[in-house]
Amino acid sequence: MQNKLFLYLLLSFALLAGLAVWSLYSGVFVFEKHSFLEIFSGIWTNDGSIDASERFVLMDLRLPRIAMGILIGSALAVSGTCLQGMFRNPLATPDLLGITAGASLFAAVTIVLGSYIKPYIPEALHYSLLSVMAFAGALITMILVYRISTQGGRTNIVMMLLSGVAITAIGFAVMGLLIYFAKDDELRDLTFWNLGSLAGATWIKCAILALVVLVAYSMLIKKGKALNAMMLGERDAQHLGIPVERIKKQIVVLTALMVGTSVAFAGTISFVGLIVPYILRLIFKSNYHIILPLAAVWGAILMLSADTISRTVAAPGELPIGVLTAFMGAPIFMMILIRNRKQM
Amino acid sequence: MLQATNISYAHRRFTILEGINVEVNHGELLVIVGPNGAGKSTLLSVLANEMGKGSEPIIFKKKTFKDWDERELAHNKAKFSQSNSPDIPLSVKDVVMMGRYPYFNATPHQTDIDAVQAAMEETDVAPLAGREYNSLSGGEKQRVHLARVLAQLDNDVDNKLVFLDEPLNNLDVLHQHRILHTIKKFTQRGNTAVMVLHDLNLAAQFADTVMLLKKGRIVAHDVPGEVFTRETISQVYNFPCTICANPVNQNPLIIFGT
Repeated sequence: MQNKLFLYLLLSFALLAGLAVWSLYSGVFVFEKHSFLEIFSGIWTNDGSIDASERFVLMDLRLPRIAMGILIGSALAVSGTCLQGMFRNPLATPDLLGITAGASLFAAVTIVLGSYIKPYIPEALHYSLLSVMAFAGALITMILVYRISTQGGRTNIVMMLLSGVAITAIGFAVMGLLIYFAKDDELRDLTFWNLGSLAGATWIKCAILALVVLVAYSMLIKKGKALNAMMLGERDAQHLGIPVERIKKQIVVLTALMVGTSVAFAGTISFVGLIVPYILRLIFKSNYHIILPLAAVWGAILMLSADTISRTVAAPGELPIGVLTAFMGAPIFMMILIRNRKQM
Repeated sequence: MLQATNISYAHRRFTILEGINVEVNHGELLVIVGPNGAGKSTLLSVLANEMGKGSEPIIFKKKTFKDWDERELAHNKAKFSQSNSPDIPLSVKDVVMMGRYPYFNATPHQTDIDAVQAAMEETDVAPLAGREYNSLSGGEKQRVHLARVLAQLDNDVDNKLVFLDEPLNNLDVLHQHRILHTIKKFTQRGNTAVMVLHDLNLAAQFADTVMLLKKGRIVAHDVPGEVFTRETISQVYNFPCTICANPVNQNPLIIFGT
């Protein structure tokens, strides 16, 4: 089983690398006839064979965008998978639980109210302020939803989804209020949040995301066995030597961190945390030991393909990426609902 | 081996257990019996350290549960619970393999695979190994979890402890006896088992000691011959009964309704 997992991971990584190259070359701007190697050696040695505009598109637009797509897709898929393990339900995803809404709500408040202090602090801190606030929003929502829906280790799925609906509703209300009061440039920022886009990618954002993902994965990726055992029920998992309470706390804090940061930088890109584990489950059943590490790669694959399509299909315009993921995710949401009809 | 003094447990203002003292020794098979609502499952939960902070600490192998390392403890004690999760979208083999989680990090070793196979044969689920757990019947699921518990305690540690909460529910006669024989063999190797049972005759046949509970208190705790007397049983169960010697093995034989 383990060797197979390694093979699947290897193949998935290869696919991701291929996609990244494809994504690099697609778009409105067409590079001159340079091979992949020529472009990079040209940029590396700076010998003048690559002109400034090519260099700009490559280094400041496409590459950071690809990197951010990979990081956010991966983070969202892993968050979804971990939450599903913790809530023991395939519908537990950051967006359906209202965690995304909570994070974007806090981010939106920060944008509108934060404009007063923004001129006085350096750029790097803007992003961290935003991500810290989004993280706080995500964490508060997650704790709220968990408290409302879970009693004695058993989650009431209907309560879980309804508290997500309630929090999303609060998010919409506050967002509406903010849009009403927002100035023009803030309005553009807010709209961007609601639709979700990777267009704002920069290297600083990528670095912060990479750090968050690295910290989270170092603790979460190996929790597959624990999540499997938790399917038995929390008490029985405890008898297998699994420190259930500690793992639940780690999942809550780390997924809030990942979702919060993703929302702060790319807005609400929904359903990634639902689609990826769902597809993996179809192939590997619910074995978290396999689907958790694979979700990390396939989340990146999904996000990168969706983003590349979103910026090429309607060129020179751009389709909001959230529209694409929702088109894929909503039918899957319905499918899971129909399948679980008896348990609801 | 396992000592607990003065266990009391209340849910809201409702007393479930009151002033219970238990001591179980190496190689002992203790069966807890009693009518509905006597607190059998709760007592088992408390003894198995599921309730968190209790009133008095429970001593297992001279240490309180808090002082045990989690993984080490999982090598020494296991529990079979009454309410098994109905929905585990995995194969039977994968569910039984969970019993080996305290033994490997990422990849199961050959010993783990062997232990899983042996445990599945012991509870007669080996032919179902590749089946989807969710497609099994209640009794089959029950046997899968029993196999998981057996696999968990398949190691070189001396004096292990297993808790079983009504392990015979949904099982046919053949499997009831097979499971009890397995547990009896387990205790004969110096291990300990604490089990909740409903069938008094099976308890009389297999138990070393029997604890009879009623309304959260111990009515009797002794060898089966002493606990199963006509007065005690008919009074505790509030139902007439006759007790005679089993003609085959001379254990007490309880016949209700007479």
